[in-house]
Amino acid sequence: MARRDDTDELVVRARDGDGDAWARLVERHSGLLWSIARSYGLNDADAGDAVQTTWLRLVERIDELREPAAAACWLATTARHESLRLARRRGRALPTVPAPREPEPDPARVVAARERLGMVGAALERLPLRCRTLLRLFALAPSHAELAAALGIPVGSVGPTRARCLESLRRLVP
Amino acid sequence: MNDDELMAGVRATFQILDPVPAAVLAAARASIAWRAPAARLAELEHDRGGRAAGVRGGRARTLTFTCPDATVEIEVSPDGRFREIHGRLVPSAAALVEVRHRDLPPGGITARTEPAGMFWLPRVPAGLVSLILRLDDGTSVVTSWIRL
Repeated sequence: MARRDDTDELVVRARDGDGDAWARLVERHSGLLWSIARSYGLNDADAGDAVQTTWLRLVERIDELREPAAAACWLATTARHESLRLARRRGRALPTVPAPREPEPDPARVVAARERLGMVGAALERLPLRCRTLLRLFALAPSHAELAAALGIPVGSVGPTRARCLESLRRLVP
Repeated sequence: MNDDELMAGVRATFQILDPVPAAVLAAARASIAWRAPAARLAELEHDRGGRAAGVRGGRARTLTFTCPDATVEIEVSPDGRFREIHGRLVPSAAALVEVRHRDLPPGGITARTEPAGMFWLPRVPAGLVSLILRLDDGTSVVTSWIRL
């Protein structure tokens, strides 16, 4: 969870016109942004829109972003807002913590995943949807700060929530 | 299995079951090309209608974008697969207005403001859109991206 993150440096370099730095930002953060959109139950098209709008918002802001170090949290917060906006437009019910809804995966991919991932993948399928979604966000967020931003909860409640879901998962892994 | 191994398993599972589509990544990589460093950003302040408001069938949507010294108001009506935009720049100024959209080449849809700051942009494709207004005094205003 505490892996070092040089997102701030990439933002500064992208601002100076370094296309590779921008590409690395996109590669590093798109997985989390996509998961945030999914956690609001968005389908492929809407999730794609939420992620794309988030990146366009960063482009709008990149020159005036006061704290590049906070860019990762900013991205997560923006993705949450954009996802919420799209979910509202679609008229979905909105709980305070994102309503997780997984996409319906192609059965062949599920089988392949089970074979390749074994115990953790199988255990995840038996977890309640909420925990499964939270664990997915936990696995992708670089730190508790980004996760709190993604979920719209205080940083202090991230640790205990993560611990509970991780413990549920652990019980299901033989 | 320790926590890190469990989390690595979670990450790998979702990477296989629900990866970020390549097209989404490609669009994100390309989005830096829309940067307009010298332009003032007019942010969305109001987004009204779309169903109830307006005349005859009432399907026009009104959006207002503001930045410190300018306001851009647009009314968007459906036109089959396209959108039609009637807009106004306040205070009025002579400007070239251009639609920014992933599927449009630069200069694909443009209009000049008329004396009262009014402009008209026909046949705008649906999707994420931003307008850039290049004023004759050399400054520019871009609107925040919105889905039309």
